[in-house]
Amino acid sequence: MPRPRYRSRKLKRVKKKVPGGATKLSYKKKTPKIHKCAECKKELKGIPRLKATKAKHVPKTKKKVSRLYGGFLCGTCARKKLKNQARLSK
Amino acid sequence: MFEIGRLCIKIAGRDAGLKCVIVDTVDKFTVLVDGQTRRRKCNIKHLEPLEQVFKISKNAPRAEIVRVFKELKIELKETKPKKKSERPIKVRKKKQKPVKQSAKKIEKEAVKVKPKPQQEEKVSVAKEPVKKEEKSK
Repeated sequence: MPRPRYRSRKLKRVKKKVPGGATKLSYKKKTPKIHKCAECKKELKGIPRLKATKAKHVPKTKKKVSRLYGGFLCGTCARKKLKNQARLSK
Repeated sequence: MFEIGRLCIKIAGRDAGLKCVIVDTVDKFTVLVDGQTRRRKCNIKHLEPLEQVFKISKNAPRAEIVRVFKELKIELKETKPKKKSERPIKVRKKKQKPVKQSAKKIEKEAVKVKPKPQQEEKVSVAKEPVKKEEKSK
């Protein structure tokens, strides 16, 4: 029976060869899913799939798009939203 | 629709969501804009026109556009173009050449320094041969 924290499936299971020759189970953190647009659920471009430990060494400009709503909405959805805001302000 | 002086909101690009005024029409599809955005060419598709139209001259200078935005109670950031700073050029360090001293000065220094090194040399000479003999044995 594995230890209690390894019983959940939040960690990925990887078989690795040990120097002795035997194969053993080891546990690995999963890579995050592709980021998606909050409205149309399309995959966002320009945003890398990084674990938190690696992401903190990457500059902010490489983790998002420099547009308004960049990294949250896709280009077309952001454009629609800004258009609507402009028309409502009239 | 997109005449000179029309207030617009930019929809696309890094200036999206910022207000600008059309300064000049370049083409059937492109205009020159300035305001909260940078002064630049822009496709009509990337603009959303608003109701207001201001009276400005064609290719109006920045000062005129600042005045227009004051009516809207928006203060524009004044950015001066950066001065190009010259790169520091690395200069190789030159080896100092041995200074030629006059014969009299050398003699004077030699007299001052002489007594100390003579004693040290004698000691060092005495030690070295002893070690060599030990190794050979």
